[in-house]
Amino acid sequence: MKLRRMFAFSRKEVLEISRDPFTLWVAIFMPLVMLFLFAYAISLDVENAPLVVVDQDKSAASRELQARFLNSGYFMLTDAPQDARVAEHALMRGETRAALFIPNGFARRLSRGEPAPVQLIVDGTYATTASILSAYGRAILYAFPGELRLPIQPEVRVWYNPQLRSRDFIVPGLFAVILMAFPPLLTALAVAREKELGTIAQIYASPMTKGEFIAGKLLPYAVLAFLELLIVVGGGLLWFSVPIRGSLLLLIVVGLLYVVCTVSIGLLVSTLVRTQLAAMLVALIVTLMPAFLFSGFVYPIFTMPAAFQTYASAFPTRYFLEASRGIVLRGAGLKEIWVYVAIIAAYTTVVFLLAAWRFRKRIA
Amino acid sequence: MVPDSIVEAEGLGRRYGGRAVLQDVSFQVGPGEVFGVVGPDGAGKTTLLQMLAAILTPSEGRCRVLGEDVRRRASLVQARVGYMSQGFSLYDRLTVAENIAFAADIRDVPRTELGERRAQLLAMAGLERFQDRREGALSGGMRKKLALCTNLIHEPPLLILDEPSLGVDPLSRRELWKILDTARAAGRSIVFATSYMEEADASDRVLLLRDGRPLAMGTPAELRAGAQGRVYRIATAEPASIERELAADAAVISFQRLSGNEIRTQLRMARPPRISGNAVTLIEPTEPTMEDVFTVGSADAAPPISEAHAAPPAQQMGASVVVAECVTRRFGAFTAVDRVSLSIRAGEVLGLLGPNGAGKTTLIRILCGLLAPTEGRAEIAGFDVARQSEAVRVRIGYMSQKFSLYPDLTARENLGFFARAYGVPRAEFASRIGWAVARAGLEQIDEKPVGGLSGAIRQRLALACAIVHRPQVLFLDEPTSGVDPLSRFRFWRLIAALAADGVSIVVTTHYLEEATFCDRLGLMMDGRLIAIGALATLKADLGLSQGSVEEVFLGFIARERENERVT
Repeated sequence: MKLRRMFAFSRKEVLEISRDPFTLWVAIFMPLVMLFLFAYAISLDVENAPLVVVDQDKSAASRELQARFLNSGYFMLTDAPQDARVAEHALMRGETRAALFIPNGFARRLSRGEPAPVQLIVDGTYATTASILSAYGRAILYAFPGELRLPIQPEVRVWYNPQLRSRDFIVPGLFAVILMAFPPLLTALAVAREKELGTIAQIYASPMTKGEFIAGKLLPYAVLAFLELLIVVGGGLLWFSVPIRGSLLLLIVVGLLYVVCTVSIGLLVSTLVRTQLAAMLVALIVTLMPAFLFSGFVYPIFTMPAAFQTYASAFPTRYFLEASRGIVLRGAGLKEIWVYVAIIAAYTTVVFLLAAWRFRKRIA
Repeated sequence: MVPDSIVEAEGLGRRYGGRAVLQDVSFQVGPGEVFGVVGPDGAGKTTLLQMLAAILTPSEGRCRVLGEDVRRRASLVQARVGYMSQGFSLYDRLTVAENIAFAADIRDVPRTELGERRAQLLAMAGLERFQDRREGALSGGMRKKLALCTNLIHEPPLLILDEPSLGVDPLSRRELWKILDTARAAGRSIVFATSYMEEADASDRVLLLRDGRPLAMGTPAELRAGAQGRVYRIATAEPASIERELAADAAVISFQRLSGNEIRTQLRMARPPRISGNAVTLIEPTEPTMEDVFTVGSADAAPPISEAHAAPPAQQMGASVVVAECVTRRFGAFTAVDRVSLSIRAGEVLGLLGPNGAGKTTLIRILCGLLAPTEGRAEIAGFDVARQSEAVRVRIGYMSQKFSLYPDLTARENLGFFARAYGVPRAEFASRIGWAVARAGLEQIDEKPVGGLSGAIRQRLALACAIVHRPQVLFLDEPTSGVDPLSRFRFWRLIAALAADGVSIVVTTHYLEEATFCDRLGLMMDGRLIAIGALATLKADLGLSQGSVEEVFLGFIARERENERVT
């Protein structure tokens, strides 16, 4: 391997990137756009869900119960009709997510120590929201003084993210997704472009070895991806004030390994295709799609059927995601996440070797 | 160490899938020899050259380049040859100097020698002034010259060039060949591919390829000698009747009407064509060109020319159908077409010639009503192209360079689509398509997707699609590019027949010798029409008694440059 040839190739790549607004835009700006878009848009928290209350009791107790629902911050009163059918219509038309019925005699029964039936109807069209709302509703009802006592008084504590802020959970996950989305795409496009325009012919018909070609291509794109890593980690932690409990340095070092891995995936893709269009499609299918759906970014892997759990294991995003969330949320150190780091390292080696094996200095 | 043979190929072949794109090619190239691989598109030239550069593994046969086997020692071959692929193979975002530096770095050129070699090559290519310009901002000819420089920077013993002059204007082509002459004088061997038959004369030896098989091989003189006595020149007062007689003679392979009343014909055997002597003023054997060699050589493979629809006698030239007055088109600060005025009569064939970027395609688009002129006006059959483009469009046919057919549809489906698109009444579909197919010289149309048809068949099908609505004016944008000479000559016969029917034809071409088939020529440069007239008139204008179209063209360019300097 001659360093002069390799560096000549890397230098050429840097010149091309620096003169191509598209690449720079995709490399620097798009990750930020994605970071902000998703960190703001994907929220699993439910706040101010519309609620219709039908209070037929009109007692101090019923008003107190209603106030507890509204003061929780989870519900927001939209209507308070007398007729239960009005509430049903509101649910049917999707104007409200939930309806609370407090029947006549609610206060009387409570004061006598009798079971006092109250009905909370939740719109189950959005299953996730519905289950969260019904859990919130149940918690408010159980905490209401004087009503049914549970035989067991559970004390449940949430660790690592006690406020259950979904943003604290989304942002470290986004690091894994964004770095899987753009660096491999750019790398795959860069090689496919050379194939499409025919500039690769002069590389084929030259003393350059494939090791020099692959290393020379990997180097600038890995540096670019590392820059991207710094931008999204910095932007994510500072702008969204996500507290980092573990070592920032560890996150950056593991991140560096991860971007080499994603760039290698891009290289592997580029050895399989001839055109930029095909490179883009294949890259999306093997990088962005599994990164979104099968990494545990939003949908947990442990709830998937066994076959999909196996499928999810075939993509490296989930391992970096575990490491990233471990470091940021739990304050995990290398001791706790070394398995994931080892898997990413092994994965990178295999992908790089596959790319080197697939790359031929041949037209066909 | 210089081996005796730079290239030794034996029974070389390549398949893609089950299809053989090249088979049974054997030849040798010695040190300092210039070897031309000549053939139309799809003949297998690129495949052959890629195998020589060891970047494509042969499926059959043996091949040694610079003494090394291209299969087992590919990396040694790749490292030592210079290979210039078709099209533009450099990095358009890098400057001239950066491209050269990159080529030198990846080819291990000693740093101490780089400066001198670069200066020498750039001086030869006339690119010293443009060192800091991006490659993508150079003209086509300059880009090609630069690509050649990057392939000479490591002083390879063998240069492999794939269609170096494709899409390059005649002036740049000459300069390109000047650089190659210097390389050859330095003892380098050159293998180049071309679809321009006349370029074959620049080589020591020529290999003619057709449909993946070798047609003939030898020095240009040997090849021409083989066709000696089979090419005749006929001067006549009644070319149309002579053409009918030639078409009836089974020994005639092909004939072409040249400017004036001259016909050139190629025969299957060495005897004059059988024609009645009345109208003939002269009939004599003439020196075969490389095109003739190719036509004669491929005659066995091709059936005799079909004349089921021989052209009726030429009509009196009619009124002006196409009129342009001071047509100008600007794109921002750039003037693509500059004050062009012309008129074309019914049944007239006007050839537009000019280098890439001269404005030919823009002019055609304006005349077709696809692009509005910035200034000036143009009319087709009395309709203004800018304001009445609907009326204009049903009166014109347009066939582009790329034969815009749908590759996944069959010939019939393509014709049906174009007939519908042009609003041919449903009741007339069958008869119109039948007429167009016959007019385009297609014997029958089969039910295969057109993507798998040969270039020549697709070309005629594209013509059929362009005339299915019986246009009054037909625009042909490089209709013959990359098609073999025999098919090209036949195509020109079809054009002549359409013209004889009264269709006005505007055609652009890269093959300057085809200009002789046109009634008048328009020479374009930098958006301006610098000359227009019959070839004989243009020659007289320059004071030339004889000379090729290229010389006429270069003469007018030189005159134009002279005028620019003066003003």
